[in-house]
Amino acid sequence: MNKKERVREKKRRISSSAVMIMLVVGITAIAMGVGLAAFLAVYSRAARQNAVISSDHAVVQASNIMHNFTEDIGEGLRLVEGIFSRNSQSRDADMNALVSVRTDVVAVMSYDPATGELDEMWSGRQRVKESPLVNLSYGEEIAEKVKDGDRIFISNPHVESLLADYYPWVVSVCKLVKTAEGEERVLVMDTRFSQIAGYVDDVGIGHHGYCFIMDEAGNIIYHPQQQLIFSGLKEEKTKELAQKEDGSFTQGEMIYTILTLPDSGWRIVGISFVDEMVYDRMASVAALIITLLLAVLAITFVSSLVLSRVISRPMKGLAKAMEAFEKDASGFTYYPIKGTSEVEALSDSFGHMVVQIQELMTKVRNEEISLRKTELRALQAQINPHFLYNTLDSIAWMCEESRTKEAVEMVNALARLFRISISKGHELIPIEKEVEHARSYLMIQNFRYKNQFRYSFEVDEECLPYYCNKITLQPIIENAIYHGLNRMIDEGLIRIRIYMEEDAVIFTVEDNGVGMSAEQCRSILNREPGDNTGIGIKNVNDRIRIYFGEQYGLKIESEQDVGTKVIITMPKVKEEIHEA
Amino acid sequence: MKHSRMLKAAFAVILLTGCLIAGAAGMGSMKVQEAYEIAVIAKSTESAFWKTVFAGANAAGTEYNVKLTVQGPDTEEDYEAQNDMIRQAVESGADAIVFSAVDFNANASAVDEAVQNGVEVVVIDSDVNSDAVSCRISTDNYAAGRMAGEAALSCAEETLYVGIVNFDEKTANGQQRELGFREVVEQDPRVKFIETINVLSTTEDARRGMIQLLEEHPEINVVATFNEWTSLGVGWAIRDLDLKEQTTVVAFDSNVVSVGMLETGEVDALIVQNPYAMGYLGIETAYQLLSGKKPGNARVDTETTLVTRENMFSEDCQKILFTFD
Repeated sequence: MNKKERVREKKRRISSSAVMIMLVVGITAIAMGVGLAAFLAVYSRAARQNAVISSDHAVVQASNIMHNFTEDIGEGLRLVEGIFSRNSQSRDADMNALVSVRTDVVAVMSYDPATGELDEMWSGRQRVKESPLVNLSYGEEIAEKVKDGDRIFISNPHVESLLADYYPWVVSVCKLVKTAEGEERVLVMDTRFSQIAGYVDDVGIGHHGYCFIMDEAGNIIYHPQQQLIFSGLKEEKTKELAQKEDGSFTQGEMIYTILTLPDSGWRIVGISFVDEMVYDRMASVAALIITLLLAVLAITFVSSLVLSRVISRPMKGLAKAMEAFEKDASGFTYYPIKGTSEVEALSDSFGHMVVQIQELMTKVRNEEISLRKTELRALQAQINPHFLYNTLDSIAWMCEESRTKEAVEMVNALARLFRISISKGHELIPIEKEVEHARSYLMIQNFRYKNQFRYSFEVDEECLPYYCNKITLQPIIENAIYHGLNRMIDEGLIRIRIYMEEDAVIFTVEDNGVGMSAEQCRSILNREPGDNTGIGIKNVNDRIRIYFGEQYGLKIESEQDVGTKVIITMPKVKEEIHEA
Repeated sequence: MKHSRMLKAAFAVILLTGCLIAGAAGMGSMKVQEAYEIAVIAKSTESAFWKTVFAGANAAGTEYNVKLTVQGPDTEEDYEAQNDMIRQAVESGADAIVFSAVDFNANASAVDEAVQNGVEVVVIDSDVNSDAVSCRISTDNYAAGRMAGEAALSCAEETLYVGIVNFDEKTANGQQRELGFREVVEQDPRVKFIETINVLSTTEDARRGMIQLLEEHPEINVVATFNEWTSLGVGWAIRDLDLKEQTTVVAFDSNVVSVGMLETGEVDALIVQNPYAMGYLGIETAYQLLSGKKPGNARVDTETTLVTRENMFSEDCQKILFTFD
């Protein structure tokens, strides 16, 4: 295998199974990628909607808590009012007991709406300051709010400022009531605000989402991280949010949901994070899907690899075997290829085919050889009657003239000629015999042509034991006499040489006759048997080739008016090994 | 050639499966990423100041999903106990320590050691004499001292006799506060003298110290003191001696009692630090350090607020003084 072939080989390799794997894996990857993208798009939208919905839910939950809180406060205030408007001995004791028992009530007080002065105060076990610095529970603002009628007013959270060494955060719940005596009083109940804090803290949206409460102006009423806000570590855009209507909206990476409480005017703001609500979930889902997809890809890759191994690999082997068979049909040995049943069936068929073709080829070759042989033998069996008549005529004539000695020589030569021609049916005879055959023929012809030409033999002694096809020289000599010398005025000359050249034995027959054109040279090799021995030059050439192969045979060199040279090449053959 | 191809293919398959497994494992580990352990080692666990610090720390701990341990020595002079706590925290595998030093110098070597063991140290409130500390978050004590000084000078008396009741000399922030205070007060020509007494950081010791100082210098009419416990002690002493009318007291930090004293007059001004922010920022900074982010500044100053009787019930001061329990 040379370099070029190897490169071609490699190219073809890449373009078969690798292409298959790449195609399968690629198509799978693209299909899955598109699927994934579509899925994520749909999922993302759904997740966003879910995020908004869960944010809404959380805010509604918070508003319910607030509602319950205000309900409780109202309830508490009704209780307080009940005791307040009672005209009994135990009024003070009952009120103090109520404040002590109800942990959410810090203090109850009543103010004269006309003067704004503190009228009565109950604080349970807590000591009231003698001279408070300020009063955050009641002021003109509150008096203004409650003066018309029945409505309960809830203040913003503040620190209880009236009790000694006790500063809980409270909201003041205020209502205008009448005493038993029918005087107007503002009843103020300071209710602990920290309770609400716990509930609101528990309303989470996702991991980091939360709710906070602000008033209409955007002041923070309660924030789960209000310490952070008070400490200046965190800010809420409450002023901006105060401008917004109720509902949900997304700003940057945050989802805001606002809901106004009907009874207090406070607004609950739910804040959740898009990345957390949407992207984090999506990331985990995407990661899961991608893992699955990768697994599928890997499986596809492995399975296509296996497929290629099972199918293309044996196919390649088969193709290679076919190529080898194409190159050298007779020397090819087939080894069956393992693979799937289809491939094995193909392989088996090919195996049978190879055997059959090889059998056929041998058969054809044998038949050809035997056909030639039969033909040859038939030809050899024919004795050209003209040659025989002419020769016998010559002998008769010699006998008449009492040239007995010459007549005997002629008869002997004729006998030798036929004996060697037949050679017990062998095709190959020793060169020595072939030379004798040629001499006999020349002798006869020389008698007949009355020494119109001369001939010479130059034979290398070493060649004599080797074998050659019989009747090789005679048709050529015949051709030289009839076509080369017959028409000559000068004395003809035929020169026969036999010598060795490397592994070959070379026969040459030269004449100085009229020569032939190139056309004649070609046609002579195709000529059918002449009228002498019945064996043509073509036949000689054919026989040599059949016996020894294409590289051997006959070559004609000719020049008009100079002469013709026929060169015969044969291998050195010791015995008649080739004769079947 | 055939062989090597087969090897390559096998290798590719193994690589792919490896990637998958690694990816899956990576995802798995992403989900259950170990929470960082941060040890908060304070100067005390009792005072309202430190409780607020811990509240801030817990808030940040929850936000950043950090495992917190909180501890402090029984007394605010016990640097040995603090050093032991540092060593224990390092041994028990804490990733970071948020530390407040009882003793500027005596705690230094333990901090260095902890940092050498790969633990990030963030200092809050009180500094330690170590270069290994990654970040310091505290009140600008010198500025807070100056603020106290200005508050003290706002009284109307014509001659001022100034007494200082300061806690342990070895604690850095107390000294810096005193320095800032003295620098401002010394400027005023009304000031006749400034006397300092150092006491243990307990209410009782501070009370005794105050009374002792007043016995030695009965003319004292301005008193400054620099932490929560000494503030209470001074307040109690003033209340005991019934000197609230004559004496201007500038104290530090707030709790229910000192706020009460501010309202009733034993104390005239409170320099309120922002302990919640210290705790929160301490944990946040430690977390950022652990997750590979360098904090913007090696020193972060938290706010201080001057609260007087006049503004103590303003909306802002309410939020600062009174915690939302």
